[in-house]
Amino acid sequence: MGRVNPAEEALNLLRTRLCNPSFVFKPLSDSPDSNYSKLKFLISSSVTEACNNSILLLGPRGSGKIAVLELVLKDLLLEYPDMISVITLSGLLHCDDNSAFKEIARQLCAEHQLLFSKMASFDDNSQFMIAMLRECGLAHKTIIFVLDEFDLFAQGKQRVLYSLLDAMQSVTSQAVVIGVSCRLDADQLLEKRVRSRFSHRKLLFLPPSKEDLQRLLEHILSLPVDSTLPHDYAVEFNSKLQNVLADEKFKQIINTYMNSDATVNHLLKLLFRVVSSMDLGSGFLSLENFKTALSNNQRQPKLECIKDCSILELYILVCMKRLEIKEQNSYNFNSVMKEYKSIRDSFQTSDYYARNVCIRAFEHLLQRELICFTDNRGHNQSVEFRPAKLLILSHELHQGLKSYRSCPAILLKLMDREV
Amino acid sequence: MGKEGSPQITQRTTRSSSSATVANNSVKTTKASDSHPLTINDLVFGEDPISLNDLLSSFPGRRIHILELVRLLGTSNSPMLPVFMYGGASSGKTSIILQMFRHFNRPFVYSSCRTCYSPRILFESVLNQLLLHRKNGVNSYSSAKRCERPSDFVNLLREALSNVINNFKGNAGKLGTKKLGGQVDGNMIYLIFDNLELVREWDKSSTILPFLFNLYDILKMPEVGLIFVSNTSPDTYYSNMGYVDPIPVHFPDYTEDDLRQIFMRNQANRKLYSSFLDVVLRPFCRITRRVDELSTSFSPLFEKYCEPLSDLGVVPNEETKRRLFSHLQPHIAPSLNEVFKVSSQSSPEAQSNKETKKKSSRRKLGVCEEIDELDFHMSTSAKYLLISAFLASRNPATLDASLFDSMGGFDSRKRKRKSSQKSLEHKETAEQELLMKGPGTFPLERLLAIFQCLTSVAEGSIDEEEQGNEGLGVQGGEGGLMSDVLLQLSSLCNANFIIKGGSCPLEGSTRYRSTVCEDMALKVARSLKFPLSKYLYRR
Repeated sequence: MGRVNPAEEALNLLRTRLCNPSFVFKPLSDSPDSNYSKLKFLISSSVTEACNNSILLLGPRGSGKIAVLELVLKDLLLEYPDMISVITLSGLLHCDDNSAFKEIARQLCAEHQLLFSKMASFDDNSQFMIAMLRECGLAHKTIIFVLDEFDLFAQGKQRVLYSLLDAMQSVTSQAVVIGVSCRLDADQLLEKRVRSRFSHRKLLFLPPSKEDLQRLLEHILSLPVDSTLPHDYAVEFNSKLQNVLADEKFKQIINTYMNSDATVNHLLKLLFRVVSSMDLGSGFLSLENFKTALSNNQRQPKLECIKDCSILELYILVCMKRLEIKEQNSYNFNSVMKEYKSIRDSFQTSDYYARNVCIRAFEHLLQRELICFTDNRGHNQSVEFRPAKLLILSHELHQGLKSYRSCPAILLKLMDREV
Repeated sequence: MGKEGSPQITQRTTRSSSSATVANNSVKTTKASDSHPLTINDLVFGEDPISLNDLLSSFPGRRIHILELVRLLGTSNSPMLPVFMYGGASSGKTSIILQMFRHFNRPFVYSSCRTCYSPRILFESVLNQLLLHRKNGVNSYSSAKRCERPSDFVNLLREALSNVINNFKGNAGKLGTKKLGGQVDGNMIYLIFDNLELVREWDKSSTILPFLFNLYDILKMPEVGLIFVSNTSPDTYYSNMGYVDPIPVHFPDYTEDDLRQIFMRNQANRKLYSSFLDVVLRPFCRITRRVDELSTSFSPLFEKYCEPLSDLGVVPNEETKRRLFSHLQPHIAPSLNEVFKVSSQSSPEAQSNKETKKKSSRRKLGVCEEIDELDFHMSTSAKYLLISAFLASRNPATLDASLFDSMGGFDSRKRKRKSSQKSLEHKETAEQELLMKGPGTFPLERLLAIFQCLTSVAEGSIDEEEQGNEGLGVQGGEGGLMSDVLLQLSSLCNANFIIKGGSCPLEGSTRYRSTVCEDMALKVARSLKFPLSKYLYRR
């Protein structure tokens, strides 16, 4: 094939890194008081001491809870081979007990090379699980249950949680239950009988500090010097990167970006955009990449929708705004048409179209989600009679009209006058 | 059997016709249509790959967006985070992503949430494509695996994806660096979910939407890329259950210049069409900028524009342009008011009839005038039923006694009252209420009572006009038009002229509501020569 462009190779390397959570969260886990070490200590102590344990990992979505957990489990599987088996459940998929127990049974069968029957009933599966727990306990094997989206398991009757925790307590078992959730009050959602069987250990995943963030950026974006990439290219890339990272404007960009969402995953999205827009000709990252990525990520969807609207649709929006200002609590398409007609009569605009055209424009606005109906499918009325309302604020509409190319001046006047 | 029994080559064989043919014929036809079993290489687009320049030139106005997408998707072996493409309707999202995969020659699995209208169908469609399963008569059109729940889907998907990816790696190892046309490029596979905004209306949307958005994290397979395509922006998907946001890519609607470039493509006579667009594009863009709606309005107008020209290949000069413009101008304004109407193909006789009518009657310019006749056929009793429903919805029930006297005929005692100030105000508020509330509901008995009144009046006049004529099937007496009235009612309900409103709170019987507008009811009444305006509660 010939020599691959080193810039392309570097690009692929960086993208692979960004899509790989284990790589990203490694440096954050190096210090002794990080969540990684605490979690590892807890699980390894329960493995060696042959006892049951439970813990909750809490933190906003994207702060790396599952990533850190995977790192811990990977290391423990190397340290204690054949003594640990991992069962993973997700609250999105398995929140009712039938599918949860089926999944547990399926994963246990897969681990221990047993035949799994899809026809097994709920009772069969739960008895199987209890039997396996007992057997593994007698054989000094620890089963680790990872419950993702833990708060979804806590909906309804919490039967899965209760049977799991109860089985752990009654049978000679060695099991660790790790709940992962984005709700910081996930433990408050538990019923009394479940909470009494659950230890109150929690690990909070906080957003990284500024120094950690800097370290993370360097770790992800620096190219390795001793790899298949040409040495001087990698060294130059890294030095240019250091210049960018030390720039004041860069720090401002990162601060603005992380103000809305300070999790690591959010940063990864920005970096993905930055890396994808890397100039393949020169092969280096520059401040421009960061700036364009930031502006691409800062979207204002309603203003974009307004830019897409046609002039008739803008007329309808302005009519609805005026009706709202006149304090008509509920109005429908017919009232909007009346207002439209009165505007035409008083201002003699040329944009006057027939009723069926306006109904279609009204439906386009519904599709764009700039307006919606206020009744929920009620009364089976046709489009003209159902009460509607605006989904866009007055100042957004104003801003949109101002930035609209070739907006008729009459519309701005009508908005400003507020008569 | 001979030639009459066997189906023609141009028609598709229906089940009945293929079973009617000779036994060995039908076996041959199914074998021939079965074609080759699907292989991994069928997961790519299939046709000849196109270059990037071809891709960019076939989508005018989308250069920036295509390049951005190309960069986000990356090279053939690099993983990607999920991408969310959104934009208005008919802004080119689906065609761009499919043509991009034709250019890349990478395998993908496409499923649209419009054709897969429930979670089960969506899951099975994705799995069928990955398992290279084709539904045909042999397996009685069933899917490869039955899959209803997200948990089963994840397990089966993981299995199918790993199989496919291992196959790619095996293929790549065997063939080395030689790349044949149609061979798979790289070892990534992409899942495309189109029309995602329809998922919000499904029953289980509160679990399915977060599931789809979290699919990338659940699968944890870097060789899988997810692409979502939607008509509405990502902020319309927020719900209680959170998910990691995919990377948004916005496709704004086309500007006027882009529209001009789009419409100029594939035109035989570019200069002529360009002068046509100079005339029509700006006024039509004030109403809508959607390509599909504009193209349906432009095609009849362009035919009209070219009418004075004898030779369609001529390049127009200024004088010709002015002539054509003045010919077209009277038709632009009425056409603006019919932008969204897609007219049905009328038969040649109807068209010639219309032309003779146009010569006789003068059409007003400006606001469009409705054609005076109904352009579909309804039976007489259906028309009466429609009018009765309209009256029942319009008039309050208390007025029935005064409008229809005890003999069923119209009460001709018109009470003329002097309209005082208060009654004028009353009338205004009543009109306002009519605008707001819409048509009222009525029970079935009231509808039948009004229908009986109207038809008894009508039968008197019908008997006078057409004596002895059995054309309407009126047997005389009142039983004639009343027959099948319930059948007519149900067909009117199916046509959405009458809809079921709420049920009466006291009795629990269903109430109906008429949805026709006044113009339509007047048209129907005119075709029956029925004096509808006398019965309307107004003025």
